[in-house]
Amino acid sequence: MANEVECSYVERADVLRGTLDLMVLQTLETTGAQHGYDIAARLEQVSRGKLQLNMGTLYPALMRLEQRGLVRGKWGTTETNRKARYYDLSAAGRRQLEKEKQAWDQMAGIIQTVLHGKA
Amino acid sequence: MRAIREWIHRLLGTVRPSRRDDDLAEELRAHAELAAERGHRAVGASQAMDALRDQRGLPWLDDLGRDLRYGLRILARSKAFTATALISLALGIGANAGIFTLLDQVLLRPLPVREPERLVHIDWRGSKVGSHYGTGAPNKVSYPVCQELEERREIFDGVLCRHPTEVSLSTGGEHHLTRVDVVSGSYFSVLGVRPALGRLIESYDNRQPGAHPVVVVSHDFWTNRLGAAANIVGRRVLINNHPMTIIGVAAAGFRGVDRASPPALWIPAMMIGQADHELDVGLESRRLFWMDAVGRLQPGVDAAQARARLRPWFMQTLQADVEHADFPPVSPEQRRRFLASTLEVLPAARGVATLQARLERPLRVLMAGALLLLMLASLNVAGLLLARGLARAREIATRMAVGASRGRVARQLLVESLLITAGGGLLGVVVAPLVSRVLRSFIPQGADVSASIDQRVLLFALVVSVITGVVCGVAPVFQLKRLHLGAVMTDRSGALGRRSVHLRKLLVAGQIAFALILLVTAGLFVQTLTRLYTKGTGFDTANLMMFSLDPTSVGHSNERAEQIMRDVLRRLQQEPEIERAALASSQILNGGMAGGPLTIDLGGERRITDRTVFRMRVTPGFIETLGMQLVDGRDYTDRDVRPPGEEPGPYRMAIVNETFARRYFGNRSPVGARVGPGNRPDTETNVPIVGVVREISRVDMRDRDVDQIFYNFWDNQSENGTFYVRVRNPESAAGAIHAIVADVDPRLPVNNMTTFDDQIERALSNERALATLSTGFGVLALIISIVGLYGVMAFLTAQRRKEIGLRIALGATRRDAVWLVVRDALLMVAAGILVALPAVRALRRLVEAQLFDVTAFDGPTIAIAAASLALVALTAAMLPALRAARMDPNAVLRVE
Repeated sequence: MANEVECSYVERADVLRGTLDLMVLQTLETTGAQHGYDIAARLEQVSRGKLQLNMGTLYPALMRLEQRGLVRGKWGTTETNRKARYYDLSAAGRRQLEKEKQAWDQMAGIIQTVLHGKA
Repeated sequence: MRAIREWIHRLLGTVRPSRRDDDLAEELRAHAELAAERGHRAVGASQAMDALRDQRGLPWLDDLGRDLRYGLRILARSKAFTATALISLALGIGANAGIFTLLDQVLLRPLPVREPERLVHIDWRGSKVGSHYGTGAPNKVSYPVCQELEERREIFDGVLCRHPTEVSLSTGGEHHLTRVDVVSGSYFSVLGVRPALGRLIESYDNRQPGAHPVVVVSHDFWTNRLGAAANIVGRRVLINNHPMTIIGVAAAGFRGVDRASPPALWIPAMMIGQADHELDVGLESRRLFWMDAVGRLQPGVDAAQARARLRPWFMQTLQADVEHADFPPVSPEQRRRFLASTLEVLPAARGVATLQARLERPLRVLMAGALLLLMLASLNVAGLLLARGLARAREIATRMAVGASRGRVARQLLVESLLITAGGGLLGVVVAPLVSRVLRSFIPQGADVSASIDQRVLLFALVVSVITGVVCGVAPVFQLKRLHLGAVMTDRSGALGRRSVHLRKLLVAGQIAFALILLVTAGLFVQTLTRLYTKGTGFDTANLMMFSLDPTSVGHSNERAEQIMRDVLRRLQQEPEIERAALASSQILNGGMAGGPLTIDLGGERRITDRTVFRMRVTPGFIETLGMQLVDGRDYTDRDVRPPGEEPGPYRMAIVNETFARRYFGNRSPVGARVGPGNRPDTETNVPIVGVVREISRVDMRDRDVDQIFYNFWDNQSENGTFYVRVRNPESAAGAIHAIVADVDPRLPVNNMTTFDDQIERALSNERALATLSTGFGVLALIISIVGLYGVMAFLTAQRRKEIGLRIALGATRRDAVWLVVRDALLMVAAGILVALPAVRALRRLVEAQLFDVTAFDGPTIAIAAASLALVALTAAMLPALRAARMDPNAVLRVE
């Protein structure tokens, strides 16, 4: 299916379907508008190098989010005066992030309970 | 709420334009450069580009393609099912599209003029005092009233008057009888029609009687008969031998205001004396009703307002009429009825409604029949799909078990049913022209109606087929919702279908109901037709022909014209090809006879007829030529012929029909009694009745119980008329007739030559169309519902194998087994019939006007239709029933 996320390039992190989108949205929420490279760099940094996204994983996710109207892309310039495409959360994206975070927390709680027998 | 928003986003996502390749490529390049700046290596650019292309190829389109391929494969595998469904839908949709083609042209399509929706037909409703002239719309107005309507500027932007008639036209060589519209000067400007060449008739072309010898020709006439000559303006033509000048050609596509009779040319009303000399007094007289008045409403005025505003003025007009010197002495009752007349204002965007009036009812009946047929076909396809849904339950369950979502499977089924109905729709497009061609042949020749299917009708067929597809597709999807996966996977006996069996039985009962309605309707129309044929015309129509001559139309004086009529009659009677010939004043079954009141002298007591007596003038030998039956008195003889040269006078003798005789004379013989034409107090009753004949048809075959009087042709002006000839062979006789007429005067056109068999076919065209097509519908309905019934019976029987086997094993006879199955079928048929009966009753209003001698809720017809349905249903049920009875109970039970 075209909608399925190719996860094989995400090293040492078997990212479940949809979690990449969630992480990208959260990154934009934290940092504000960012270009693709910085999003990848930020995720790598936050995960302490455990999450290395290449372009073949990152950009389909960004395009998907943009298609769904959750992020908006706009060309701009970096501090080093290079052209780059900046992504920013839309209002719908912010709502979606909120919703998915809650769902994730709930799911994570359940899995935690199931695997370790306590909340 | 949130789910909806999410869906909207997704939907927008599919239509929002995707990014362009080079835009993403540039972004990826920027990414790589940023990475390089910090000493990293960026990979995966090609995967990103692939993802972009994947996203652009809309995913649902991809799925649809897969569904389509799968659907086609499945359908190709079950050929019998597919063929049945396709054929029943093709017939249903084809009949609908074919009938709609004509319905659209006759009833729906507006005239090709400026703002047709503002046009209204101003119609005289009520009792007139005076004479009514011409064919076309029935409720005409006089020319002065039509002109006065034009002055009602607060209501009308303009009013046109038109009178359809036929003239003898010569554009150089021969004279041909040609349809023309005699019109007021406002005609083209009110319609907003432009010239294709030259100019059109204007108000200054219509000022003084006889002073405007100009004509406008139609675009069709110009292209077909005048070779589309560019120098046509200024050419001379002869109208009834009067020279007139062509001043222009009307816009292409404009064919007048009456689709039933498109005129070849338009002539100013002031030239009516030249076009039809009987009507030359019509420009002044308020007692001659011969004009259709069509108005263009002022902006903001609707038909109801126009009607209300016309009322006070019209009442004054009527009052002034009654007080006018030329108003005839009439009874107080007639006067009261005259004063109670009103003007009706009818929307006329589609023109003057003669064709509509004739065809509206039959077309609506046929359209209703076709829709019923389509519903029947849809029910059948729904039933078939439902059965297949069950047969495929396991397959579907398997698909769902391996992860296909319910919606996904539902979509697959929907795609399949859409495939079938779209295929049926396409086939229907092939069938449609056949239906519309059959129907077109029943509509008068020359009417502006074409049998070719246009694009809007194709669209109609497509819409109908898609709706059918969705409706049929919904049935199995609906059923799917109830499927319990586990039950399907483990079920072996097919018990899961129990609930849907009820649905299928209902569908079959519905089909039976529709089939019964169609069969009953067919029965009614066939009976109407056969009864009309059996009743006949009252005379022998085999090898009987008629044609008309009017020597005055090519310029002969009345005396010379009469001599020509005498010569032609004598030559016809001498011609060996012709057995008998006679002459009369009008064409039976084509225009008919004129009518009026009579005063009868009943032994000193004057009695005025209480209904119209239709009159015709006939020569000696007319009764014999037609094979009419003389029941009393005598026919006219050669001694009754006025000698040539003698001036015509009043009527000297009359023959009446049996209906008239019985009505006013009871059992006494009317021979010798005296009558007089008219109902004035001073009407003289000095015309003796010399004979009595059986009634004959006058205008159409439905005529019955009509009073008729046949005067002596030669007593009156005899300068034109219709010849009736009994021939040996119509083809060779036609040649002989033309030769005789040409020999007497080569310029004289032979008008309306026709055999009576043709004439009757034409007179019965509506009835034949209804009988033919409704029978077709009935038979199709029968076939389709048999297929449906057989399908459901076979399925039911297969389901009940175990039960039947068990019963046989326990001692039930084979006959019991057959009955078990047949009873089911009969129950369905009975239910269908019960449901249909109220519908048949309700149909009465639609079909009643089309019937003759049979009531719409006719017991025998319904009984025969129901019995034939039951018989056919029994046959359809018998096969599976016998199969069930023949089975070996041991084998069945062992399987379980």
